[in-house]
Amino acid sequence: MAESKTGAVFVWMKSAGGITVTLSILIAIIAGIDSGPYIIVNTIVTGGMLALVAMGLALIFGVMNIPMFAHGEFFMIGSLAAYYIFTPLTEYLNTSPNSLLAAIAPLIAILGAMIVGAVAGLLCELLIFSQLRKRSSENWVMNSFLLTVGLSVVLINAHQLLFGTEFKGIVRYWGGRPLEIMGVFVSRDRILAFVLAMIVVGVFWLFMKYTNTGRAIRAVSQDQSGALMVGININGILLLTMALGCGLSAIAGAGLLFLYPSYPTVGLEPLYLAWFVVILVGLGNTAFALVGGFIVALIKALTVEYIGAGWDFVIPSLLITIVLVFKPSGLFGSEVRGVLDL
Amino acid sequence: MLLEVKNINAGYGFLQILRDVSFDIDLGEYACIIGPNGAGKSTTMKTIAGLVSPMSGEIIFNGENISGLPGNQVARKGIAYISEDMNLFTNMTVQENLYMGAYVIKEKALKDDRLDFVYNLFTQLKSRRNQLAGTMSGGERKMLAIGRGLMANPKLLLVDEPSFGLAPQLTENVFDNLDILKKAGVTILLVEQNVTKALQVTQRGYVMENGKIFMKGLSSDLADDPHVRKVFLGV
Repeated sequence: MAESKTGAVFVWMKSAGGITVTLSILIAIIAGIDSGPYIIVNTIVTGGMLALVAMGLALIFGVMNIPMFAHGEFFMIGSLAAYYIFTPLTEYLNTSPNSLLAAIAPLIAILGAMIVGAVAGLLCELLIFSQLRKRSSENWVMNSFLLTVGLSVVLINAHQLLFGTEFKGIVRYWGGRPLEIMGVFVSRDRILAFVLAMIVVGVFWLFMKYTNTGRAIRAVSQDQSGALMVGININGILLLTMALGCGLSAIAGAGLLFLYPSYPTVGLEPLYLAWFVVILVGLGNTAFALVGGFIVALIKALTVEYIGAGWDFVIPSLLITIVLVFKPSGLFGSEVRGVLDL
Repeated sequence: MLLEVKNINAGYGFLQILRDVSFDIDLGEYACIIGPNGAGKSTTMKTIAGLVSPMSGEIIFNGENISGLPGNQVARKGIAYISEDMNLFTNMTVQENLYMGAYVIKEKALKDDRLDFVYNLFTQLKSRRNQLAGTMSGGERKMLAIGRGLMANPKLLLVDEPSFGLAPQLTENVFDNLDILKKAGVTILLVEQNVTKALQVTQRGYVMENGKIFMKGLSSDLADDPHVRKVFLGV
């Protein structure tokens, strides 16, 4: 048994996905030795949050078949909600200090942002996508794609109209002295943001794997008619999926508020990066999106370090173009069958 | 009467397939619908299962009109539909597929009871319970599809083309299993292109042509009918 397992690992290492993952780890180590371990630390911290956005994107595509180009706006909604929850809380804390509240205030903000993002996703599904689904099933991917682009424009302008264009940011969540990891000083907020992202990923995985509802989501992504036949309420699952996907994006927006203040187009960068991720690994699989999040974060960190900050969108898109020429279904593409399944 | 279909008209978009189809099945009966390709047999099944909504007509199941209900609610009423292409969750294990079949059952103990029942019936599935459904052979998949349908303890089993794409020996196997289910008291409606076989195993039959019920009668009578023999059996 152990032998066949190691054998399977070797086979996997020789596949496109395996080569990429192994190479990425090697490159990260070499770059870490060459110009300092902060590259690895940076990659891990941004990769964690990017993975959340990309997983939401992959989930929505895998289950609902919607190429979501308004996903960045849920990142924006998350950061905005966290700002408007966290700022009053800190003001209250300035007048009446309370160490317990100070410790959990960021969590309240991030949780609140997740709920706001999920509700926004729910409304979008109810008001837009379910309406389209009722009226036409032809050309669904193209039509829903155009709708998401329109939705993105509407949400960006709604933010501008209602909350203005200025940066709405915070200086810190928890603050405190930076921690030293491998000789690099990393702020506590970044570490906690990463830990939070990984906890969310873990909870999400457990939910998808072991709960009835999570299994139903996977069933719908694998065979919609089959799901209907066993009694799954498809519309309910689609609603839930949209809420989950948008909630994940909102958590990322809220979790990174101390790095990216909220403004109308703050979601565009994470949106593009998340699309890089899902195109790179193959559309519609959340597990690979997690891996891809770290790979794209690494490419970005390396570009900034060795080529220059202005190039950090050029190099990833160039690489992705090359990958798509040789492997049109993405690095893990041919193996992708369902939303969570390897 | 367990199921009574009254004058249903159904189809896809503007294309009407079924015209005034009426038939009925009693509790505990094993009935079949036979007919040539494109006669509307599968559409009839899909309409009962709620995957196609009828333009008009009534489907009375257990004294309740279920026509127009979506598939998930029809499944909750106790109708299990085993489609031609099975619609398995190919990237879940056999056991996960079976548990999905019992999605409408909430109590864990009841689910496990049903699982035991299915594993007793299809012992092969038990030994393969951790295998992915997509990696199984055609015959095993068919068994799994039937097993998944049985997990919800249905009152009526709709089986669409169980012999489709199977080697003759495996077809026999599937029919044997349906026979066991029939003896266990499950009501079965079978749609089949293998007319000889279908008329051998069932009690009552309906012949469909061009979206209409063309003939009906006891299966043994239909097997001797000159029209059926000429059109379907080529003798």
